[in-house]
Amino acid sequence: MPVPTIADPPQPASAKPQGQPSQKSMTKAERRELQERQRAAKAALKGQPQQQGKKDPSQGKQQPSVGGTPGAQTKTKPPPTPQKKAFGGDIQGARQASASKDTGTGVIAEDAMAKQVSHGLRIFSHFGQPKPVSHTVKGDIHPEIIRLALLFSEFKISGANARCIAMLTAFKQVIQDYTTPSHNTLSRHLMTHLSPQITHLVSARPMSVTMGNAIRELKVEISNMDIDMVEQDAKDALCLKIDNYIRDRIIIADEVIEENAGNKIKDGDVILTYAKSSVVEKVLLAAHSERKKISVIIIDSKPLLEGKVLLKSLTSGPSPIPCTYALLPALPSLLNQVSMVLVGAHALFSNGAVYSRAGTAMVSMMAKARNVPVLVCCETYKFSDGVMVDGFSKNELAPTTVIQKYTHLENLPSSIEKLNPLYDLTPPTYITAVVTEVGLIPPSSISSIPLALGKTSL
Amino acid sequence: MIEEQYYDSDLHKASPPSSTSCYLQSTQSVLDLATTSNNKMVAEPRSAITTHRSVEVLASKLRRRQIVGSRATALETLLVLRQVISKARFSNLEQLVAIIRDAGRRLVDAQPKEHSVGNTVRKVLHHIREEVHAATRGNEPAKPTSFSISKFVLQGQPRKQVVLQKSEVKGTLRENDPDDPDSFARGLKPVLMEAIQDVLDELETVYDNISKNAKDHIHSDEIVLTLGVSKTVEQFLKSAAHVRNYSVIVAETAPSYDGRQMAESLSSFGISTFLVPDSSIFALMSRVNKVILGAHVILANGGMFAISGSLMAATAARAHSTPVVVCAGQFKVTPLWNLYHEYGALDFGNPSDVLGFENGDLVDKVDVVNPYYDYVQPELIVAYITNDGDHPPSSIYRLLKETYDDEDNDL
Repeated sequence: MPVPTIADPPQPASAKPQGQPSQKSMTKAERRELQERQRAAKAALKGQPQQQGKKDPSQGKQQPSVGGTPGAQTKTKPPPTPQKKAFGGDIQGARQASASKDTGTGVIAEDAMAKQVSHGLRIFSHFGQPKPVSHTVKGDIHPEIIRLALLFSEFKISGANARCIAMLTAFKQVIQDYTTPSHNTLSRHLMTHLSPQITHLVSARPMSVTMGNAIRELKVEISNMDIDMVEQDAKDALCLKIDNYIRDRIIIADEVIEENAGNKIKDGDVILTYAKSSVVEKVLLAAHSERKKISVIIIDSKPLLEGKVLLKSLTSGPSPIPCTYALLPALPSLLNQVSMVLVGAHALFSNGAVYSRAGTAMVSMMAKARNVPVLVCCETYKFSDGVMVDGFSKNELAPTTVIQKYTHLENLPSSIEKLNPLYDLTPPTYITAVVTEVGLIPPSSISSIPLALGKTSL
Repeated sequence: MIEEQYYDSDLHKASPPSSTSCYLQSTQSVLDLATTSNNKMVAEPRSAITTHRSVEVLASKLRRRQIVGSRATALETLLVLRQVISKARFSNLEQLVAIIRDAGRRLVDAQPKEHSVGNTVRKVLHHIREEVHAATRGNEPAKPTSFSISKFVLQGQPRKQVVLQKSEVKGTLRENDPDDPDSFARGLKPVLMEAIQDVLDELETVYDNISKNAKDHIHSDEIVLTLGVSKTVEQFLKSAAHVRNYSVIVAETAPSYDGRQMAESLSSFGISTFLVPDSSIFALMSRVNKVILGAHVILANGGMFAISGSLMAATAARAHSTPVVVCAGQFKVTPLWNLYHEYGALDFGNPSDVLGFENGDLVDKVDVVNPYYDYVQPELIVAYITNDGDHPPSSIYRLLKETYDDEDNDL
């Protein structure tokens, strides 16, 4: 199957009238008129079936066309263009300019946004501003990856496990569609083919620790491939390795964690959890299905209000778990009835610090202050070798478009800077134990786990 | 007789077909009518009912939460008390105190969680006693000279407010004068009005006095974290912004998201403002130099009730050794203790702010809680900045002793 990419020559915008005067010399009314004409032409174009893989640049700005897969196209809605914000009042003009001048103005708009940010404090500058979804694809990117990148950037797929599984599944497709060029071997060349794919994914949303760990593992597997192996066999072998990785390190690991954490849950326990973690959800549902009488307090907070999703899944079904739902500031009033705090993790650093959804640190802190045990459910593949000392040095900001979608709150004047960090770091002192598939470990012993699992070098 | 005629005519205006046979009864009804229409011509005996009414009006407003905010309630209470005192008839101090206490009790019962009502009543009582003592005893030395450690706390009023000597009444006031029972009231009332005016002035300048020293607390290039919306904190930060260039991080404070309002106000004043969700307080705390909070009530032990979220911000600040400073008017200092329901907020907001009806299917199955206040322990607070100077939490009790009389602690 030929891989359709943006590298194909783009079709010239048919809607653009020939010999049009320069934008600046036109009056406002003229511009508006021109824009109306362009819109009409575009609407007409949209009616026709689009040529596969070829992108109309004027349309590419508004609607990400995803490698000619109509299913995905309906699923990924066009995100509100960030240019709207940057240009404030003259939205119309801005959009028109970006529509007619190919890619140039898009860059200018991003620059304008970056400049706005730089008015703020310099200490926040390292967060970087969440990048708008870039539809300009550089290089040879597999459509599956382009699709995945869009899903990532719009938070359709979020959560460390989900993103890692989605990435590995996409890589399987990429590997199957790969052909080794002549005068090269798969074990040497495949990684150079994968790196731009990874770069593209990272440009959509910063890479999670889980993804990094999986990619590292994959690299080792690729370089260990026998040179003499038939190409299709090698690909199949790699796909099998990926499947095994997903099964062993994520799915089975979750089942073991479910059991380990379940052992700590007694009848009558009130379990408090924060936001949503897929593992915690499984633990709670499993405990409930074992007919343990538990009740759950779900604490939630902006920016993503993910707890509502957990609330839905716990209360749906024939026998709902008794749940209490509250926002983060209400936590201290609820803590005195809690027997255990159960939270998930995004990553675990070797000093025992837990990098998790923003707010987890406060929940653990308050629980520790009231002597409520805090259990963190975390698979060992989320362990990171590094050490992090606070949640400020490395973080990710949630893009405003995503936040608006999740919280339905009215717009604020743009003069206020909004910071929406997605993660924070829970110091190891607040954590009673980490529940992993190799048992319950105190956070101080985290550093020894990778070695115990057979990792030879630090 | 003139009065009766007046009522009679009024009665006929109000209800012309009334017969003479029910004259007495209808006069009575007109009395009520006259008071309800707030008729200025009503003479002395009816005034008790009028003042009574203003107390009731405020009480029902408090009950319906039509008046919210500590300062607004304190002001309203003061105005009502002024009315009550101006209309009150008394011939000695006990009677006056009983009248004020009675009005105060009604208002406090109407909204027991709004402590500034009770505080205002206590403060007025304290001022009245001071004035009366000054007026009746003249310049006779009030204080016994013997000091002992055991008495130190009880009598300890080291910074007693300067009582303005009202020379015109000095020595002439006598309680329970058998010849003229009103003479005490007549002599005292102007002084009382002035005393109330003092309290009123103090309330009106409370923000200015709190923010007076703002520049000493906030330094250049500092990052200050605050949450919710508090007029006091807002004025404090704005006042500091005149001389200092600093940044403010405002937490949104779910579920009211009042922080947005605060952020808007601060940023429109030209302060560099960052609005963050509550969840990121811990992550950002390592870069915050100071946490400035508002208070709802300051308790006798130095702890406070504040908007929910304050406890977490204060605990996170403690974890990072960041100082927590509370800005509040002195009228929020309450002679109450919070020893036994440490975690109970005791006041709950609307749950639909947390989980709205757009999640209709969830609403039936789930308990949703929205506590309004947090109790913040004194250990978490470094200082209170009040209009009466800056105090550590450990000396709040002294402020109480200076401001209120012990016998008023329980109204």
